[in-house]
Amino acid sequence: MHIAEGHLPLSHAVAWSVAAAPFLVHGAVTLNRRLKDSPEDRLLLGASGAFCFVLSALKIPSVTGSSSHPTGTGLGAVLFRPPAMAVLGTVTLLFQALLLAHGGLTTLGANVFSMAIAGPWAGFAAYLSMRRFGLLPAVFAGAFVADLTTYCVTSVQLALAFPDAESGVAGALAKFGGIFAVTQIPLAVSEGLLTVLLVRLLRTSAAADLIRLGVLRPARTEAAA
Amino acid sequence: MLAIDAAAYRSPWRRHHPAAKALLAGGLLGCALTLPPWPGAVVTALVTAAVAVCWARIPVRTLVRAARTPLGFALTGSPAFLITVGADGIAWADDGPRRAGEVLARCTAAVLCQLLFAGTTPLADTLPRLVRIGVPPALVEVAALIYRMLFVVLDTARRIRDAQAGRLGTRSLRATWRSLGGLGSAVFVRSFDRARRLEAGLAGRGHAGALTVLVEPIPLRTPFLLAAPMPAALAAGLALAVERLP
Repeated sequence: MHIAEGHLPLSHAVAWSVAAAPFLVHGAVTLNRRLKDSPEDRLLLGASGAFCFVLSALKIPSVTGSSSHPTGTGLGAVLFRPPAMAVLGTVTLLFQALLLAHGGLTTLGANVFSMAIAGPWAGFAAYLSMRRFGLLPAVFAGAFVADLTTYCVTSVQLALAFPDAESGVAGALAKFGGIFAVTQIPLAVSEGLLTVLLVRLLRTSAAADLIRLGVLRPARTEAAA
Repeated sequence: MLAIDAAAYRSPWRRHHPAAKALLAGGLLGCALTLPPWPGAVVTALVTAAVAVCWARIPVRTLVRAARTPLGFALTGSPAFLITVGADGIAWADDGPRRAGEVLARCTAAVLCQLLFAGTTPLADTLPRLVRIGVPPALVEVAALIYRMLFVVLDTARRIRDAQAGRLGTRSLRATWRSLGGLGSAVFVRSFDRARRLEAGLAGRGHAGALTVLVEPIPLRTPFLLAAPMPAALAAGLALAVERLP
């Protein structure tokens, strides 16, 4: 759901950048504090960012017949928490704009708001609220909600930029939401399923990392062992 | 390597300072966003394409392949402009084709400006210089680390995918899903393992926290800097001239 370069009017691009700025500053301050406390974490953060980029470049089969890319924001939020995801997501989006031409530089603020802020926070909230039902249902909810929120926020951004001539922003929201729903709802389900598969494998192959990141509780792995 | 980055490293503009190239591409981007879509965006797109292919020597194939995805997104969204939702239901919008055309023209021009900068400036040249415009050094350092690790992780993912395909991992939808899950988890495990080994190696060499690297100096050449705003001025002038045509 990247908004391409030049798609948004300049005033909207600036407004979304301003809206994203406080979250990004909060993320940068959190990151800075973490790096001061444990400088060795910068390499793990580098690996996490590279992982986020690769995750968003994976092609997944979509129910509509085509293939799509996951946003990776849900998994990122579960693994690295939303403040870190704001920074990692921004860097990933910047790299996607400059290395793959996915998204743009003037639309970076809007894309950051939907994919690195709204998606991860909503996904993380869904993950936390479902955690008592078990890890995998919570992970599915996190990835599904993050993907769907990203798509909804992008639709709002487009509706605000291009209101309908007759029915205004509400009509435009119905139009953009309707068009993208065809691909995005199946994609959100697909991303949820892929994330569950991925975390299920990680639980067996990288349990120590999941404990370190706070996704698994040590007692659970002991019980599993 | 990724096609745009590879083009940037091969570009004859590689020796020019990123700030001068940002001025050139940024000026054109400004024209694409602020001039009226007709004729402004169309003229800007033509001038940018000419600068990219004839002056910066970005291969046409690379340019077209890179522009395909963002323009595909813009095209997917454009049917929304053709209809209007009112009290009587859905109807054709009178000015729909004009609005869709304007957005597509603006988008095409802006994407070409973005590719002009990205296809001539490797990220490795841009990132260390971001500190000078006020981006926090810690953020730049993490971004630079992500950039360095990115290609290794992408290569790892490609190798795993090839191995999975060789073992009939994409034979059916079910196998494809299982392979994708395996690919994601293997990439996570390997990238974290690599980071940990790098961390141990650096600790053994007395790593004190900052990962300073040698930044190759690129002089800010006056002739190129003076020529940088010219394409934008040309695009603006041509757009005004076309607009005044009877």
